[in-house]
Amino acid sequence: MVLEALEREGVELIFGYPGGANLPIYQRLPGHPKLKHILVRHEQGAAHMADGYARACGRPGVVFATSGPGALNLVTGLCTAYMDSVPMIAITGQVNSTQVGRDAFQESDVIGATSSVTKHSYLVTNIKQLPRVIHEAFHIATTGRPGPVLIDICKDVQQAEADNVPPERLEIPGYKPNGHADLDQAKAAAIALAGAERPVVLAGHGVLLSHAEAELRELAERAAAPVGTTLLGIGAFPVNHPLSLHMTGFMGTGWNLKAVQNADVLMMVGMRVDDRVTAKLADFAPKVKTFIHIDIDGSEMGKNVRPQIELVADAKQALNAMIPHLPELEKSRGTWLAQIDAWREEHPLRYTHSNGHLQPQDVLIDMYKRCRNEAIVVADVGQNQIWAALWWNYDRPGLFLNSGGSGTMGFALPAAIGAKFARPELPVWCVAGEGGFVMTAQELSVAVEHQLDVKIVLLNNFSLGMVRQFQDDFYGGVRSQVDLTHMPDFVKLADAYGLPAVRVDKFSEIGPAMDAAERTKGPFLIDFRIDPEANVYPIVPLGKSLNDFWEAPDK
Amino acid sequence: MSDNRVRVLSVLVEDGPNTLSKVSGVIRRRGFHVLSITVGPSPEPGYSRLTLQVDHGHAEADQVRKQLERLVEVVEVEDLTGHDVHSRELVVAHVAASDLSGLLEKGAKLLYSGESGATVEFAGDGGEVGEFVDELKRHGVKDVVRSGPVVMRRTA
Repeated sequence: MVLEALEREGVELIFGYPGGANLPIYQRLPGHPKLKHILVRHEQGAAHMADGYARACGRPGVVFATSGPGALNLVTGLCTAYMDSVPMIAITGQVNSTQVGRDAFQESDVIGATSSVTKHSYLVTNIKQLPRVIHEAFHIATTGRPGPVLIDICKDVQQAEADNVPPERLEIPGYKPNGHADLDQAKAAAIALAGAERPVVLAGHGVLLSHAEAELRELAERAAAPVGTTLLGIGAFPVNHPLSLHMTGFMGTGWNLKAVQNADVLMMVGMRVDDRVTAKLADFAPKVKTFIHIDIDGSEMGKNVRPQIELVADAKQALNAMIPHLPELEKSRGTWLAQIDAWREEHPLRYTHSNGHLQPQDVLIDMYKRCRNEAIVVADVGQNQIWAALWWNYDRPGLFLNSGGSGTMGFALPAAIGAKFARPELPVWCVAGEGGFVMTAQELSVAVEHQLDVKIVLLNNFSLGMVRQFQDDFYGGVRSQVDLTHMPDFVKLADAYGLPAVRVDKFSEIGPAMDAAERTKGPFLIDFRIDPEANVYPIVPLGKSLNDFWEAPDK
Repeated sequence: MSDNRVRVLSVLVEDGPNTLSKVSGVIRRRGFHVLSITVGPSPEPGYSRLTLQVDHGHAEADQVRKQLERLVEVVEVEDLTGHDVHSRELVVAHVAASDLSGLLEKGAKLLYSGESGATVEFAGDGGEVGEFVDELKRHGVKDVVRSGPVVMRRTA
């Protein structure tokens, strides 16, 4: 019954792992050839694959896991999706309903363990609940602010038979997902933005989830307001647009941070305004007279920054409600835009490239020249993530995927696999450090088994680079437990898994290695031995304000 | 914990095995603190009414309501803080004294009387219940249980 219900919801792909408590579902799986199942090598990998799949194509990713350890191995992946509002359905096996609470073999309180990292969850103890629950779960996962929904199904329920008819109309009295912008507030927001001397718009993941990129661009151009994005909002506004401020936050660009800190009206669209965006909260955007906040989740209003104008609404709908009230203002913003251009000149992105080491930025710049905006980049967490965010000029949504809120190391490889399943027509590049890569490297087997065209760019600096940088700069220079010189030979590791790989130590070898990766069908790994001292810049020292960003040293 | 950080909320929830743990889970992980909680059935089958007193900690006061409303199990949240309400709390106490006149004058009801003492109940608002509990101490209180308030908005 589970599988029929999934087919009815339009599911084509499942990432999963069988075990004792979901055997009845797996027994029936061969009878459903329309459902393609990807056998992962660890349940966390399944969750990240489903997440990458959902981020790349917008449809909910589906995961199967058994009870106890199987389900608990999903927790990190669920949290990753929850923090970044990614739609996902996790179906976990639970012990028989008569055994619940008796500490049965592989029993765990999965609802309890996952409540704080799911949008909603169900424990199904009766077959009659199942058709409604599955239908509801997809509705909840994909509407409003999306998120993962977990369905924990007792084994006896999986084996039971009953009519499999979901209710025609969903009645969920406690679920009111779609806020509509108050039109007076929208008009007030437009007037505030138009009347600003120094407006800044920041766009987050909500703009991408709402497909509001065109509306954002129209609004920005009409209001002549510069636009920055959060890490997860990358792709919401073209980086090479004259009004682009590139990425904001404590590793954002210098000209972005200058603009935010000097703005008099700051409009924040589809974002949570978290500590990575604000840095020291008390000093965030101190000259702003009017904060405008648009988000579909009303609880985001005032959670971190109290807006003067709030629009609890889908980003597209809210922007559309604002646009008619905006006069064309391009000419009157000359001074402010000129000031931003001056900051852009004064604080360009730059990096060290004269010390004889291979620089990670050189690798990414080469990649960008090849791919332009015709590839998906899936980054892991750490320095590699910020380099990949800053050194590509993403101009469209869905091209840069990463774990922003949760910052889950080990995300990139399985998420890249999921993204490739979702968008087989696009090249997929996985950018990872060696630390995060080995956390989920077992999923190489999946890439090889399905001969997925996933190119793995390992930025190998022999250490936990971001932690090392923090220790160097903010923790008294004490390097503690960040040394990763004892790691596998990644070329041999790739060989053991059955995919080709090369090692690159020099700038001149980047091009030939990338050529080889592009020529090769199926997965390919490049172990780039980068400068072990390479750092992420700009960076705001921990606990400091956005004004205090450090730039790359002149060398 | 200060009084001006306390919110009084009346919450209509769907009955279910996960509801109470999800409500309390949200309160915990958002850094709020429950001072009292009462639960009882609502007139509508399948739904229960919670009355909560919650310290909202460092968050904006309205975050308690907003975070609870995000739960699918939560149908409706009414923040009654500062509103004109009926707030009633029940006390049941066992006292050693045989002279109960002080308690009965305050409006206590005698539930049981025997050789070991007497059991009384009292209902009132927070202040009255506080005074009643002070009065109990003068009667050799052996045991006391309090319900936490149930709160309803006053109708005009």
